[in-house]
Amino acid sequence: MTVLELRGVHRVHGTGDTAVTALDDVSLAVEPGELVAVMGPSGSGKSTLLNLAGGLDSPTSGQVLVDGTSLQSLSRKKLAAWRRRRIGYVFQDLNLIASLTAAENVALPLDLDGVRKSRRQAEQALSEVDLDGYADRFPDEMSGGQQQRVAIARALIGERRLVLADEPTGALDSRTGETVLRLLRSKVDAGAAAVLVTHDARHAAWADRVIFLRDGVVVDVSTRDQPEELLSTP
Amino acid sequence: MSVKHGLLALLERGPMYGYQLRAAFDSATGGTWPLNIGQVYTTLSRLERDDLVAALPENEGQRPYEITAQGRTELKRWFASPVQRSDRPRDEVAIKLALAITTPGVDVAKVVMTQRTATMRTLQEYTRLKTQPGDLPWLLVLDAMIFQAEAELRWLDHCEASLLRYEPRAVPETTDVEVPR
Repeated sequence: MTVLELRGVHRVHGTGDTAVTALDDVSLAVEPGELVAVMGPSGSGKSTLLNLAGGLDSPTSGQVLVDGTSLQSLSRKKLAAWRRRRIGYVFQDLNLIASLTAAENVALPLDLDGVRKSRRQAEQALSEVDLDGYADRFPDEMSGGQQQRVAIARALIGERRLVLADEPTGALDSRTGETVLRLLRSKVDAGAAAVLVTHDARHAAWADRVIFLRDGVVVDVSTRDQPEELLSTP
Repeated sequence: MSVKHGLLALLERGPMYGYQLRAAFDSATGGTWPLNIGQVYTTLSRLERDDLVAALPENEGQRPYEITAQGRTELKRWFASPVQRSDRPRDEVAIKLALAITTPGVDVAKVVMTQRTATMRTLQEYTRLKTQPGDLPWLLVLDAMIFQAEAELRWLDHCEASLLRYEPRAVPETTDVEVPR
């Protein structure tokens, strides 16, 4: 089942003379096991697209569906729970809570849902990002790269089907950045769907599909060649 | 770089015959520079003519070659000198785009976009190769191709932005239009 679907989405900020169209009739479907990268200059609508996909913003017209459910059809409370359970976010600023340990940060979405044994799941998630033994460290006791991996573990914990990442390698050196992308890629290869917003072509290249936005419009799509297509290439 | 120096570097590891050299060259470049056996033998005979390699006695129908002292000097000189920009092939994409701008009736934005899609695909393919295990020399060759593709994409973005602001200047009837090299 399609994990994320945008159907003819428009998003206009402001009204009247000052109205700005951030997205203009954008349609997009992301399937399980698919990583889609969104590229484009500043102000092209990349972040708007991600916010809409994550239910952090609503379209002016059109529909956003996650696992077949229209996000606009949900009450605020239901939407919050839906987001917590199904959608993982990784942002450039990590939004880790300084007074919570790594494990507590990672377990937070589960704790809010009253999930038992969240600690064990958090430790498991930290282990998946190679942070065994870091569960009880506070963010300020970790390097930038380690903090980023905590944020990734938090985004990937539980049964998240959709991962949304906005410049997730932001302040990281290229090696650590690559580690983050490898993690995202392996989560997707295990069956999740993900959208990665980036200005960096080298990062976008980890995706199965790369979408270019300009002025709120999809101008170009690059799909990774299928092996059979490659073989037929002279 | 020439095949010549590639073969000299490989022979520095020890004597090899033609097919071994081709296999070693293939593995050193990760298959990015396919060499046919004819090229290997032609290069070997030139190297032998210039006393940079020497043929050893034939062994089971194969004739191995070894690097000579003179060959070793040439190899050292090669490693010690930088590769000059002028030794590299011209950038066909840049020339094509320059021509597209000055040729009537060409949708330059489309040319940029077509190239960008193709280069992005290439970058995706290289990146997929990175997920497979490989030795450091091969990974570094792969990284070089990745960085080059990335640079081209950045340049294409730059072209696209510049085209939006571009107003063609009136070109005189008789022109000596210089294409930037």
